[in-house]
Amino acid sequence: MSALGLTPRMGIEMTSRRRFLAGLAALALPCPSWADAGSPAFLAAAKVDEGYRLFGLAATGEALFSLPLPARGHAATAHPQRPLAVAFARRPGTYALVIDCAKGALAARLTPPEGRQFNGHGAFSADGAVLYTSEVVAEGSAGRIGLWDSHDFRRIGEWDSGGIGPHDIRLWDQGLIVANGGIETDPGDRTKLNLDRMRPNLARLDRAGRLADVVELPGEYRQNSIRHLALRGDGLIAFAMQWEGDPAEAVPLLGLWRPGSAPVLCPAPETEAPRMKGYAGSIALNGSEIALTSAKGGVAMLFSAGLDDAGAFLATHSRADASGVAAHSGGGFVLSDGGGGLSRLTFDGLSPLRREDGLAWDNHLIALR
Amino acid sequence: MLPRPQITRTLTALTLALTLAAPVARADYPETVRDHILPGYQRLAEATAALATATEASCATEDLAPAYHAAYDAWMGMQHLRFGPVETDGRALAILYWPDPKGSGARAQMALLTGDPAKLAPEVFAEQSVAARGLPALERLLYPDQALPADPCPLIRATAADLAQTAATVLAEWQGGYADQVITAGEAGNPLFQTRKEARQLMFTQIATALEMLDDQRLGRPLGTPEAPRPERAEARASGRSARNVVLALTALRAMAQSLTPDAPKTDAGFAHALDLLAALQDPVFAGVAEPNARLKVEIIQQAVAHLRELALGELGPELDVGLGFNAADGD
Repeated sequence: MSALGLTPRMGIEMTSRRRFLAGLAALALPCPSWADAGSPAFLAAAKVDEGYRLFGLAATGEALFSLPLPARGHAATAHPQRPLAVAFARRPGTYALVIDCAKGALAARLTPPEGRQFNGHGAFSADGAVLYTSEVVAEGSAGRIGLWDSHDFRRIGEWDSGGIGPHDIRLWDQGLIVANGGIETDPGDRTKLNLDRMRPNLARLDRAGRLADVVELPGEYRQNSIRHLALRGDGLIAFAMQWEGDPAEAVPLLGLWRPGSAPVLCPAPETEAPRMKGYAGSIALNGSEIALTSAKGGVAMLFSAGLDDAGAFLATHSRADASGVAAHSGGGFVLSDGGGGLSRLTFDGLSPLRREDGLAWDNHLIALR
Repeated sequence: MLPRPQITRTLTALTLALTLAAPVARADYPETVRDHILPGYQRLAEATAALATATEASCATEDLAPAYHAAYDAWMGMQHLRFGPVETDGRALAILYWPDPKGSGARAQMALLTGDPAKLAPEVFAEQSVAARGLPALERLLYPDQALPADPCPLIRATAADLAQTAATVLAEWQGGYADQVITAGEAGNPLFQTRKEARQLMFTQIATALEMLDDQRLGRPLGTPEAPRPERAEARASGRSARNVVLALTALRAMAQSLTPDAPKTDAGFAHALDLLAALQDPVFAGVAEPNARLKVEIIQQAVAHLRELALGELGPELDVGLGFNAADGD
């Protein structure tokens, strides 16, 4: 059936059928949901002693569950209804694990097809039927989006990502937004091969995987790799970049995009910009604020996402190895760091939430809706 | 009078305490704050104040050169610290904006030199671009590469006064609370450091980052590539202190490492080796990078600094029980 399962007609039929079956199941057995996994607010990978684990965290930062990972993780994504988390390996990824967080058991292990590598991020379709994975063709780093049926985690197709070295992907109006980082890497060791001629872009793929829109940055920012995304319900796309050009130039690392118009870069003031060290590792959007983190600079920066002053710089706060960031339901953000700390991040500053000795949070903190 | 045996016991206890204390020199980040950071910012505040005072008497380069170099020297003793009060409002950048690949400092400064003198009032000047302020700005006025279009004296005075004010503010903030926050890392209610280890890691990161900056920027920029050497990109070339800056930075980093622990002999030897190579270099502005034999000497220094960083990561870090951050060292 491949990607044809996504045509509207089939989609509706499948959804109705699934609702019907789900209804029947509900009469007999409780349908597993995120409540069965303790209703975590966040997912995050971490290094714990000499091993790696995926954690489900409450809004307070309390660990609700943790499950082992075979190697260093990067990001994760959560099924919209079922308590399934998909943990992605660090690039070049050879695995993605589908974990049943209610049972604490491995539900499936995804292996990319021959010659493909996972690139650390993925997303479920809105109805949860399909898992999309960010991938590259190992030789040359041409971008692909892998499609997997979320019932048996069979591979059901793949799309062209519209660029080189895709990294983060996010669901958008039945299709996807892809951050094509533009960097060609050596399939074995992550060595960057094309920094002098890289051309990152933001691509919008429609529900059938067709390239519907693609934008590039102005020429002087061609070495600004677009890597991570945060989306808001009204269609605003915030994107975070990593500068591969002259480190002496403190270029904008945040951009805003509304498909159909040109992306807008959002510089920090000259007194603040160098503190990011050319590196934005994670991004999150909550209402009228955007948070960017830089582990290399040991800072988190806040920018406005407000209607009148979107992209305006708000504040810089210091935290060593600041890494993951996610919207907090009570306003502002939660920031994770490589020292095992979780902090609340607001305009006014950072306040400690929780800290675990012997644990290092990995790049990303994923908010569950 | 105490009975004799008790005196003996007291003396014995005292002797024992001294014996135990003597070989274990106290070294940790509180010592770094007291012995390295606070005295260093004190010297910077004094040297920049002296420079500002000197500009009141004369704006002639030959008169100001000693005070200018002393202020630059004092900053090279502290430039590796990129946390705390020096990061507020871009103060470190307002003291030394380098490198400036697009020459934005020179452009903004030319507007100040030929523009409205009201912009030179201290509170207005402090709002000007950091690229147009600080030590490189003074260097461009004291050692211009071509004739200046206006009398630089008012701008020299404004720049020096601003520099002194920035240094004084940094010192005042360290003395007025920030030092205590670092020293009490990990204590209940400390807003900056949840653990002592966090403070130690911050200190270590300063050393590792500063060594990388020496390698990539202070040495790397003039070296360029063998096909395209870039001697004109050396730091403080006009005032002839490119190599001196590297020497002073290494000397300060070595002192900081020693204040953190006496037990990093390989790291210390690495500092000594790099400093020996620099002492033997007869090329104060790395002008020789365009010529094969002289270039090799600068390349060897760069390799020694890179090796020193590896030694620090491999020895100093473990000795302090810290490393580069889990994510900082390996981003994606």
